[in-house]
Amino acid sequence: MSKELIRLRDLTMEFDGERILDGINLYINDHEFLTLLGPSGCGKTTTLRIIGGFLTPTSGTVTFDGEVINDLPPYKRQINTVFQRYALFPHLDVYDNVAFGLKLKKIPKDEIDRRVHEMLEIVSLKGYENRSVNALSGGQQQRVAIARALINEPKVLLLDEPLGALDLRLRKDMQNELKRIQQATGITFIYVTHDQEEALSMSDTVVVMDKGRIQQIGKPEDIYNEPKNAFVADFIGESNILDGVMLADYRVKFFGRVFECVDKGFEPNESVDVVIRPEDIDIVPPPQGHLIGVVTSVTFKGLNYDIIVDFRGFKWLIQTTDFHGVGSTIGIRLNPEDIHIMHKSEYSGMFGDYSSYSAEYDELTEDAEDEEE
Amino acid sequence: MKKNNSVLLSTPYLLWMVAFTLIPLGVVGYYALTDPATGVFSLTNLQNLGMYWGVLWQSIVYSLISAFICLLLGYPVAYFIAHCSDTAQKILYMLVMLPMCMSFLLRTLAWVGLLQDTGLINRLLQLLGLPQMQLIRTPGAVVLGMVYNYLPYMILPLYSTIVKIDHRLVEAAWDLGCTPVQTFAKVIFPLSMPGILSGITMVFVPAVSTFYISQKLGGTDTVLIGDVIERQFKQGNNPNLGAALSLVLMILVFVCTGIMNRFGADEEGGVIA
Amino acid sequence: MKKTNRFLTILIFIFLYIPMFVLIVASFNTGKDITNFEGFTLNRYVELFHDEHLLKLLGNSLLVSVLASLIATVFGTVSAVGINALNPKMRQAAMTLTNIPMTNPDIVTGVSLGLLFVFIGTKMLGQRDSLTFWTLLIAHITFSLPYVILNVMPKLKQMDRSLTDAAMDLGCTPFQAFYKVTLPEIMPGIVSGGIMAFTMSLDDFVISYFVSGLDFVTLPVEIYSYTKKPIQPKIYAMFTLLFALIFVLMVAMNVMQIQGDRKKKEKRAVSDSKAMRTFKRVAAGFAAVVILVALGFGIFGTRQEQITLNVYNWGQYIADGSDDSMEVIAEFEKRYPHIKVNYSTYDSNEIMYSKLSNGGITVDVIIPSDYMIARLIEEDMLLPLDFDNIPNYSYIDESFKNTSYDPENVYSVPYTWGTVGILYNTKHVDVADVTGWELLWNEKYKDKILMFGNSRDAFGIAQYLLGYDVNTTDKAQLQECADLLKAQKPILQQYVMDEIFATMQNEEAWIAPYYAGDCLVMMEENENLAFYLPEDQGFNLFIDAMCIPTCAKEKEAAELFINFLCDPEIAGANMDWICYSTPLSAAKNYMDPETVSNPVSYPSDEVLANGSSYAYLPEDISRFVESLFMDVRNS
Repeated sequence: MSKELIRLRDLTMEFDGERILDGINLYINDHEFLTLLGPSGCGKTTTLRIIGGFLTPTSGTVTFDGEVINDLPPYKRQINTVFQRYALFPHLDVYDNVAFGLKLKKIPKDEIDRRVHEMLEIVSLKGYENRSVNALSGGQQQRVAIARALINEPKVLLLDEPLGALDLRLRKDMQNELKRIQQATGITFIYVTHDQEEALSMSDTVVVMDKGRIQQIGKPEDIYNEPKNAFVADFIGESNILDGVMLADYRVKFFGRVFECVDKGFEPNESVDVVIRPEDIDIVPPPQGHLIGVVTSVTFKGLNYDIIVDFRGFKWLIQTTDFHGVGSTIGIRLNPEDIHIMHKSEYSGMFGDYSSYSAEYDELTEDAEDEEE
Repeated sequence: MKKNNSVLLSTPYLLWMVAFTLIPLGVVGYYALTDPATGVFSLTNLQNLGMYWGVLWQSIVYSLISAFICLLLGYPVAYFIAHCSDTAQKILYMLVMLPMCMSFLLRTLAWVGLLQDTGLINRLLQLLGLPQMQLIRTPGAVVLGMVYNYLPYMILPLYSTIVKIDHRLVEAAWDLGCTPVQTFAKVIFPLSMPGILSGITMVFVPAVSTFYISQKLGGTDTVLIGDVIERQFKQGNNPNLGAALSLVLMILVFVCTGIMNRFGADEEGGVIA
Repeated sequence: MKKTNRFLTILIFIFLYIPMFVLIVASFNTGKDITNFEGFTLNRYVELFHDEHLLKLLGNSLLVSVLASLIATVFGTVSAVGINALNPKMRQAAMTLTNIPMTNPDIVTGVSLGLLFVFIGTKMLGQRDSLTFWTLLIAHITFSLPYVILNVMPKLKQMDRSLTDAAMDLGCTPFQAFYKVTLPEIMPGIVSGGIMAFTMSLDDFVISYFVSGLDFVTLPVEIYSYTKKPIQPKIYAMFTLLFALIFVLMVAMNVMQIQGDRKKKEKRAVSDSKAMRTFKRVAAGFAAVVILVALGFGIFGTRQEQITLNVYNWGQYIADGSDDSMEVIAEFEKRYPHIKVNYSTYDSNEIMYSKLSNGGITVDVIIPSDYMIARLIEEDMLLPLDFDNIPNYSYIDESFKNTSYDPENVYSVPYTWGTVGILYNTKHVDVADVTGWELLWNEKYKDKILMFGNSRDAFGIAQYLLGYDVNTTDKAQLQECADLLKAQKPILQQYVMDEIFATMQNEEAWIAPYYAGDCLVMMEENENLAFYLPEDQGFNLFIDAMCIPTCAKEKEAAELFINFLCDPEIAGANMDWICYSTPLSAAKNYMDPETVSNPVSYPSDEVLANGSSYAYLPEDISRFVESLFMDVRNS
């Protein structure tokens, strides 16, 4: 295991009496790709800006390599940032943007020259030296921003929603590119995003945040498969979340039926949240089903159909490759390993009901737009 | 930490502005409330103001008329400039700006040469065998002087609002069945309201307080509040009364611009909604 | 609609440009009258470049506006950064403060600053001249600052905040971040704010008019007093040159902008930083030249080893070298090279008195009239003269010593004397109507009559007409005079002082009461003019005398100056030009014999016996008369 590089201890942040961060505890290892994931306003960018030195936390400490750096200004930190909208200097051309940090360090001119060209080659922008940054495409600007930060050979690179302004195709390409650069340089990346797919596909570690608190820290697979609460379950992928009662170890009751499951360690008869991923549900003819419901809407998604099924007034999202028309009656089966049990939390009852399926989608896109503004 | 440092940069400015805008107004207030001869507290100056309501009213009327004429003349010009090619816009904009940079005293004096009984216009009339006209020393001449001097202050803000109006809005109005006149009345005009209001303010304020224009182009009965103030300070040796009049003028202007802004804010809100 | 608009636009532009065209044409006119083009000449430009006074004023204006706009630009930019970082409430307050000078009428700003400087300088610190170059500079900076702030703030707001974060992230200290990133970003706002501040400051008249003292005056303020007198055509020449300069500058800026736009469109990909750099260098060079020139003017103007003598005199009241006369001030400076005369004018005793009593200025020599001298003595505003320094005082005729206003001969040395009569145009006025002061109330000449714009002379005429004592302190009589003057107002063309010269000479007006000496000057210019002295009703006989006010700084130099003007040879040459009567009989030897024998200048003793002098009025009566007169004019 790599050594620990940054540690945040009991970090809180308040603006005008409003608590933005509420007791953040986190350590980041050298060479790690760590992602702060959460909806807008969750505190992820604030955390990043505290690490970058642009904000001083209200309380708590930031340690870097064992030293407290709370009051160290950004220009003295071995940390560089790729900003949300790149923050390229519009009055400088590509070369001067990339060379900016080196020139400040009074590095000899020919070395600057060499390193800028090297760096532009790494980010595939060779030959663009004299272009005005305003004349570049979004993806190219993105690369300039990365080059400008990396050329200073920081210990840590902070990336604040770096792909937010790009279109989908470009975003996928850049995700691979970033991962490649991170692996090639071995620099620690701290990456902020609200896009769960991005987080899951790139990171070594994902930190899910909401309301200024860390909800879960873990490897991408663990986060997806074992969400700690309804918020994480809902934010990472789609989830049907139901009220249930844990009768005993491996036995959970919901919808009036007792199911077998793989979880244990709950109080007897504890109320719990039950998570069932839409893609884990098997559709069977009604007589064979554990539950029987009626299809109320069908959306074609390319790889599969999203269907909404009404089970006694509670609507589930089910993903299936087979077509089931609206109005048809289907049965479902649930395997023990598909049933995830979570303790009740403040998020219980807020997510996982697909009665207002389309509306929730809208809400998500709105969030995304807010972030981009 | 960084933020606090930047905040400190505004401190000298705030001190400067308090020292040289607020405190001077306080001194004006002090003069207004003291007796010119004895220098003790007195309300005489305020009581004497009564004499000047007529002059004040006349100033307001003249400058409102001027502002209105400026709007009538300036709007078509601004509209025309805003719809020229980019290069033409720049050139015309410059041509509107240019007079503002030249001495307004001399430009006004030129009008004396044009308007006086023995001036160029009357000579021309004479040459054509037409009867002479009384042009100078009339209220009309004062209004003309105001319009002439402050018209650019109307055109420039109007131009900058009109040029920003999204042409797609005009197309949308046509699409929805507006005639050109309706398009103007229902879309373009309301959208240029901010420019109109700031233009009116920019004409009204200097016009209501001018003294040179009325001195040169006006007669014995076109006295404006600015003349009275100037005379109290420069000839009448009654700076105290002059200070009281200045306060009245200032309050008048702030009330007017305040109403304008309130009105303007409502208008803008209406347009957006 | 477009066609109508185009037509209207053309008309409006003609309207905007005609007066300037008239001024430009006038600069090439051989004649003095703006309305009459007599022939083409470039002499006005030659005159302009020989007029050190005008060039000095232009230098003053440039100095103030360059300094004020530079300081305002730097100060304003820094402050805008600070304001931008304030919390919303404080920012709102700061912007309200910024808007005060923008919204306030110039006259109120000018008045308030003028009062402030006098209040602090004179009343609190006891300085004599609180209205100096520095106070003018402060005033200009104050009204220029908002233009910079209002131009820079939007740029700061538009700027992506993360740009400075990025700069610091890459290793800039906050100051480096500002210099390397913020500054280039907001530069357009700074430049346009600075240019606006510069033009506003260069062209400012109203605020400067209320804030400037006598020793440092800008061009627009002086032009204001020029436009009262018959205007010298070299002013038109200056206007034309400034017009050309500004036109060229604007065209150059436009061309550069248009080309810049085109370049951007053509090769978007190439950064234009090189072109920008060249532009910056050129602009910086230009600014540096302007600053150097302005500073040069400023420094040459106030050379340290020289004494500056502030002389404050009536307009048209000293021979200025025109019409082959002696240039008296130049002559004085030639004789006393260590003294530099700073000459300014007023056009009535009351204006001079206001300027002195409002405070804030330093004046070394004034030339008020008799009654005003008495008032100044009474109010302790004059210094006793040291007659050892004024040996030429012995040339003053005995009849002008031990006068009623200065019975002990302590404070004053007579400069001129004269009568007040009626100047009328024989071409338009029926001689049968010229019977006395009532001519000024004759409805037949409605709108062609001018009247004194100062209270004492105006009331004097009413008093002669009503048969009252000109020095009455009876408020009822004074009220009656005011009513008489009010009755006259509807038929008057205007209340005038120095403006009378232009108006009577070009026959815009036909009848006016004025000082005999000035009447003679006008009669020389226009042969239709004639002078009438209402001997039977009585008329004012005045003496103007040289005094040193208590606010003087250079008393000895002032006494040298007074002595110089009493030199019979100088006085003779001077009187030949100003046409007033001299109290030095010895000077008559050096004068044009025709002038000496002219009864307008030197009426017989029997005639003079009917004249009366204005005497000192108690302060409350003076104020009463002034307020009555204000009432007449303002009602």
